Amino acid sequence: MLMNFDKLGAWRWILSGICALMALFLLLPILFIVALSFGNSRWLIFPPPGWTLKWYGELFADPRWLQAAFTSAKIAAIVMVLSVAIGLLASLALVRGRFRGRAVLRGFFLTPMVLPVVIIAVALYAAFLRLGLNGTLVGFVIAHLIVALPFAIITISGALETFDPSIEDAAILCGASPWEARFRVTLPAISHGLFSAAIFSFLISWDEVVLAIFMASPTLQTLPVKVWTTLRQDLTPVIAAASTLLVLLTVVLMIAAALIRKGKSR
Amino acid sequence: MTSPYLHINGIRKTFGDVVATDHVELEIGEGEFMTFLGPSGSGKSTTLYILAGFQDPTAGDIRLRGKSILQTPSHKRNIGMVFQRYTLFPHLSVGENVAFPLRVRRASQAEIATKVKRALSLVRLDGFEDRMPANMSGGQQQRVALARALVYDPPVLLMDEPLSALDKKLREEIQYEIRRIHQQTGVTILYVTHDQEEALRLSDRIAVFNRGRIEQVGTGPELYASPATHFVADFIGDSAFLTGELAEVKNGRATLRYADGTVLTDVPMHGVGARGGKAELMLRPERIDLSDAAGPQGASLPVTIEDVTFLGNNSAVTARTGWGDPLYIRLNFGHPMMGSVSRGDRLHVRWQPQDAHAFTKE
Amino acid sequence: MLSFLTPARRGSGLGMAMPALLLLLAFFVIPVAGLLSRSVTEPVAGLQNYETLLGSATYLRIFFNTFLVSGLVTLITALIAFPVAWALAIMPSRVAAVVFAIILLSMWTNLLARTYAWMVLLQQTGLVNRILMATGIIDQPVQLTNNLVGVTIGMVYIMLPFMILPLYGVIKKIDPAILQAAALCGATKGQALRRVLLPLATPGIASGALMVFVMSLGYFVTPSLLGGTANMMVAELIVQQVQSLLNWGMGGAAAFILLVVTLALYALQLRLFEGRAR
Ligand SMILES: Nc1ncnc2c1ncn2[C@@H]1O[C@H](COP(=O)(O)OP(=O)(O)OP(=O)(O)O)[C@@H](O)[C@H]1O
Ligand SMILES: [Mg+2]
Repeated sequence: MLMNFDKLGAWRWILSGICALMALFLLLPILFIVALSFGNSRWLIFPPPGWTLKWYGELFADPRWLQAAFTSAKIAAIVMVLSVAIGLLASLALVRGRFRGRAVLRGFFLTPMVLPVVIIAVALYAAFLRLGLNGTLVGFVIAHLIVALPFAIITISGALETFDPSIEDAAILCGASPWEARFRVTLPAISHGLFSAAIFSFLISWDEVVLAIFMASPTLQTLPVKVWTTLRQDLTPVIAAASTLLVLLTVVLMIAAALIRKGKSR
Repeated sequence: MTSPYLHINGIRKTFGDVVATDHVELEIGEGEFMTFLGPSGSGKSTTLYILAGFQDPTAGDIRLRGKSILQTPSHKRNIGMVFQRYTLFPHLSVGENVAFPLRVRRASQAEIATKVKRALSLVRLDGFEDRMPANMSGGQQQRVALARALVYDPPVLLMDEPLSALDKKLREEIQYEIRRIHQQTGVTILYVTHDQEEALRLSDRIAVFNRGRIEQVGTGPELYASPATHFVADFIGDSAFLTGELAEVKNGRATLRYADGTVLTDVPMHGVGARGGKAELMLRPERIDLSDAAGPQGASLPVTIEDVTFLGNNSAVTARTGWGDPLYIRLNFGHPMMGSVSRGDRLHVRWQPQDAHAFTKE
Repeated sequence: MLSFLTPARRGSGLGMAMPALLLLLAFFVIPVAGLLSRSVTEPVAGLQNYETLLGSATYLRIFFNTFLVSGLVTLITALIAFPVAWALAIMPSRVAAVVFAIILLSMWTNLLARTYAWMVLLQQTGLVNRILMATGIIDQPVQLTNNLVGVTIGMVYIMLPFMILPLYGVIKKIDPAILQAAALCGATKGQALRRVLLPLATPGIASGALMVFVMSLGYFVTPSLLGGTANMMVAELIVQQVQSLLNWGMGGAAAFILLVVTLALYALQLRLFEGRAR
């Protein structure tokens, strides 16, 4: 009875053991950086000889970190809005459209997700060199949008597929114009999908490293680029402090997402 | 004294606060076809799962040929089972599904070949070896499952509502197959269903489950003719219940008094009843008769006819007793009253003394 | 059902796909095509970039490294993910929820933060070396970063969720009664595992493995931070050619090879699963 936990006998403990070890393996590095960010060892001795907040002090004292975080947030916010808007239109076309080749188009929209990011990054880098978009906010937004869009399309079209279009037809028969019906009936019904798409898009842009390395200039860089360049010089605990704040953000977003899901199921 | 072939001995199983089965006690003879009949949630599957070793009882024992099997893990119990859901291995062909029990027992190729062929022919699926389960109908899949459960000659075959996913016609067809296979192989079968017709058609004996307990065990005719409890009387066959006051209980015989003053004496009484308590009189529509004249004291009631519906080979008559309870009577075609009864007639229903039963009202 | 109203009232809907289509054409298709075309035009027209790439031991070594690490990462994640996904599918749901939360937390934590943690953990004086020495498994600190060992560990960490989640989905859908049937048929746990559970989980293992393998092939961040310059993988090669050597022809050629392998593997996956669905 391999699918009955109580009837597995000794295997039950082996499986639980592997599961626990795997959970530790996934969790420990994260806890480890959090601990290091409060440790006073410059050389990242673990366990730290003492505790301090000075790495956070250094982090906030350096305006380049704050600026990078601000740039990241700005880019991620713009990407989020554009990705949801363009993704919604594209999903409506894919799910509700009546034209030939929708399956092919869908496959095409998803390709940026399956191609190695490094290829997209290098290709865009070459194109932007010609267009003069390197090191600009527009360049960043376009690059991040390309990789965020597939996730938005998957999420939103998933939500649209479970929504019965005849409800929209009913609204139109009640006198609403097609666009009015879409705004008043369809959008609220798929709001959870839009919301997930927004969170996905924001996080993808916020965490994106490879594209950002190519788009960045000395005057315009995102947080991951700042982490990346610092990392290549040395493993300063300031990065631990920055990483801890990023983990904190992840936890907050996960709890928010869980609460929204709970709210939806009610 | 010889021990029974299979002895389900005081099985109790609880899930937290839920009592799934309680003191289930049953002796099953070798080669017997025993059916567990009862409503949903009455503990039939739980009992079967404990036999199969999927669950451990909270208390009690299961003995096969006098030896407890509770310590034996499922895969060594050598028991066959057909499940309610389709449980063929979807990645194996029909032939490999049936061969599976033999392969894990490391039987020889030659033995596997002959036994698989024999088992498939037993369920009338000769030549289906290379089909994949996904390409078969539900009825065919259940027959393969039956072949797979029988191919290793298990001493006991468990079947948990194996036909409930099939439509009525197919169900009846496979019921006959199961009967034939039972006769042909002589295997002991424990069969779960909540369909009384199926139970009556298939079984040697039926155990009626209710709320985790066995209410009564017996052959179909026994359960019909002398139900031990109100539940069994209600579950098997049609019946009407007339609630009255217990005037007297003596030697398992009751005297009942009704609101309009009617008194019925000498009714077989089941369960403990105290004088002054309530009791119900059970009458089956096909076991009572309509007549102009009253019958003997205690086996007859005056009624008023409310409705008569002609149903071809019989007529369904609705009558009302003097105190207002409805009562149903079935008149077979050719009954002298069949053409003459009509609404508003005042007549008498009569019955054989052994056909009425009184139960204490719960 | 009034959907017959739809086409007349709303047009074909193709217009709504236009923004995404134009965006991807301008900033995805054309740039990628441009990059690939440079592989046969720079520095001069011809296939000499591909000849260099596939003809020199240095570059072949890089491709070998890439396949080796991707293969190892796939194998190790599969070996860990199968028991974990299985346990998650059957364990009490409260416990499973905790494990899922940990998986999601690790998946959503910034990639650089996670890689940084492994750089610190695996360095000569790092915690891993100290634990190994304290337990007497090794006497001298072993080199765990700036080589493929470090890359493999770091990538396993990152890829595990991508193997566990699809596998969990497949195992969760298996009817427990099928395994009960196997047990009653006389199969021991080992036999039921080998003859029933594993075959039924194979689609999940295959799709997870293909995904992890393909993602690993083109991975850049972890290999470059944990692998060092001496142990390059293809993605690093592309970046190096383009960024440090300004050799767009070679960069484009390496990108093209990576692209072809990636798309071929995805096509394989689609075929495998279409075949199964029918
Ligand atoms: N694993 C379990 N956990 C908790 N309660 C259970 C479990 N299995 C069964 N029960 C409870 O035990 C009682 C008996 O269930 P069982 O499945 O034996 O009924 P059944 O007679 O087979 O009904 P059905 O005709 O619906 O199959 C039910 O109340 C059921 O809810
Ligand atoms: Mg049941």
